[in-house]
Amino acid sequence: MNEIKKDKFGTVVNKISFPLLILFTIATLIPIYILIKVSISKPADVLTQHPTFLIHNFTTKHWSKVLASGKLWPAFNRSFTVASFTALFAIIIATPASYVISRLDKKVKYVVILSLFFTRMFPNVGIALPISVKFIKWNLIDSNLGLVLAHLIEQLPFITWILVGTFETIPVDLEKSAMIDGASRIRALISIVIPIATPGIAVAALYVWLNSWNEFTYALYLSLSENTLPLQVYYYINRGGFFQTATYATILAIPVALITYALQKHLKSDSLGGAIK
Amino acid sequence: MKSFKKVVSLFLISALALGAFAGCGSKEAAKEEVKEEAKVLRVSMALGESEWEVMKEKVFPKFEEANNVKIEPLQIEPTDLITKLEAMKEADKMEIDIITQDNMALAQLVDKGLVEDLSEYRELIPAEIIPSLVPVGEFSDKLFFMPYRPNVEINLYNENKFNEYGLKPPTNWDELLEVAKTLKEKEGLGRVAIKGTLDANTTVQLFEFIRQAGGDPLVLNDEGSVKAYTFLQELYKYLSPDTKKADWNTMNKYLATESVYYGANWPFAVNVIVKDGEKEEIKPAMSFTGPVKKSRVLGGEVIGIPVGSQNKELAFEFMKYLMSKETQEILVSEMGWPAARTDAYGEVEEWQQPYFAAVNEAIQVAEARPNVVYWDVVDKALNDALREIAIEGKDVKETLDKYAAIIEEAKNK
Repeated sequence: MNEIKKDKFGTVVNKISFPLLILFTIATLIPIYILIKVSISKPADVLTQHPTFLIHNFTTKHWSKVLASGKLWPAFNRSFTVASFTALFAIIIATPASYVISRLDKKVKYVVILSLFFTRMFPNVGIALPISVKFIKWNLIDSNLGLVLAHLIEQLPFITWILVGTFETIPVDLEKSAMIDGASRIRALISIVIPIATPGIAVAALYVWLNSWNEFTYALYLSLSENTLPLQVYYYINRGGFFQTATYATILAIPVALITYALQKHLKSDSLGGAIK
Repeated sequence: MKSFKKVVSLFLISALALGAFAGCGSKEAAKEEVKEEAKVLRVSMALGESEWEVMKEKVFPKFEEANNVKIEPLQIEPTDLITKLEAMKEADKMEIDIITQDNMALAQLVDKGLVEDLSEYRELIPAEIIPSLVPVGEFSDKLFFMPYRPNVEINLYNENKFNEYGLKPPTNWDELLEVAKTLKEKEGLGRVAIKGTLDANTTVQLFEFIRQAGGDPLVLNDEGSVKAYTFLQELYKYLSPDTKKADWNTMNKYLATESVYYGANWPFAVNVIVKDGEKEEIKPAMSFTGPVKKSRVLGGEVIGIPVGSQNKELAFEFMKYLMSKETQEILVSEMGWPAARTDAYGEVEEWQQPYFAAVNEAIQVAEARPNVVYWDVVDKALNDALREIAIEGKDVKETLDKYAAIIEEAKNK
């Protein structure tokens, strides 16, 4: 009787899961579509009581304006440079740290992880001012290095936590086997552990890159003459430029889509399949 | 394929490294170069894109040439400016030489000691500056800011919708109520909005209603204030639901997307809605009168010098330049800003003329807000009273007596 019930339930789940997935995908994509639509539509199509869903009057005017303004590339360049270096430094610092933490005794490990998160218990807005004061004293205002360091403050605890989880899933036996075969601990780490951890590292890098790319609070405090892209969006929101806001927000989303697509091949759930026989 | 990927990766890494480090180098080099040739004056303003264009192309060059200086323009919004100056002051490293700031956000700059006392430089204010603009920069009888840009809200309406229902923009309170009633009746939804976010935006509107009825917002339970709040209690029933979210920014969206047909905003809205948004049916309406008079709140921007500014002398020169007849006339003709001087005239673009006329009409009846040290209490009291009276339907006189007592207590502290 129970088996029949389970089968029926399974059939129902199978039947509704695909339509639900379609609905979820549509719900996710519609806001992005509207953003793009606003950026390529004539004002008359958007600024009306009942805007249409489809694009009727296509225009490149808003994009031309943004591209011609001379404000896009410096902001884009700054955001891209800062996000890339933040991700790079975060991986370089957090990977060995996470590996070590993952191999610690359980009790010690959790104390370390909790202490990492202790730094994240305060809202950014609360700690941004004292940090900014220090950075201004060190001449780091309006510099990429200052912003990278500020972003690392925020990102390192998270990326370390993510990577600790990754390294925990890699059996110690794999390293031991490699060391029995003559590899040093470092060699075992580089040749065995890191390649297996690549999907996790890719996810962590992507996560840090995205967070840095979209970061606003520190950028606001530590930028004077050079904006990042989120600050440009903020500027147009503040100044009421509907179409420039949509255009900049679309531009902000493009690298995110490209980088996610480029890294997706590393995001496999079965990366450990067959590692141990 | 693998070697190709390696080449691409190496290229990207090199580009990034060069971008990061060469960028720093070139910036430093540029600074060094500028140091040798001319001084740098860092000027903070909060402007729209088209306004920046005018500043960079028409206003700054003459000053730069005359003073052998390079102006570095900084776009900083009024609230962000306070936090940035705070951080710089605390770090004892002021990176901004001169600021222009919205006169609705001055008290905090003074309270936190972020701006210089300019009392001894009062004579720099030209005699032709409109006298009512000067007190805006005074706190406790000291001058902290100098006038440079007066501003005032104007009423905007959707001409097509008004024509559709045979309506005309209201000229007094009775007509305003009638328009609000009619639109709600015809559309089933309120289409008149005031800025009802219950913050500084709403305070501006409340000041105007109270003064139009002959009241004093700092007293709050006088006859005029009672009349104003009684009227608002009645009007609120017919207002757009967007009223609760309408501020200086969102009002543009509501007018542009036709969820509101009548509302007030600062003149920058015209660039956003009419020029960029191509909504030519959004027209200006003259200020309506209350039971006693017409009244608008005098807004705008003033000039200040941050404490620790490294270029004070140049900053004072630039201050004078911004108040000069020549500069004021550029600001009038190129941006459609009302002049801060009585002798500055300019011809605005044709499409801007009706809006400019509305601004000038409103400026004639504009009154400054008082600079009192207990401003935060007044601000909160006015808005809390509106919430209780208009939204919760409480008794007008009783509520105003309660909040008048709170203001009085703050005044006597």
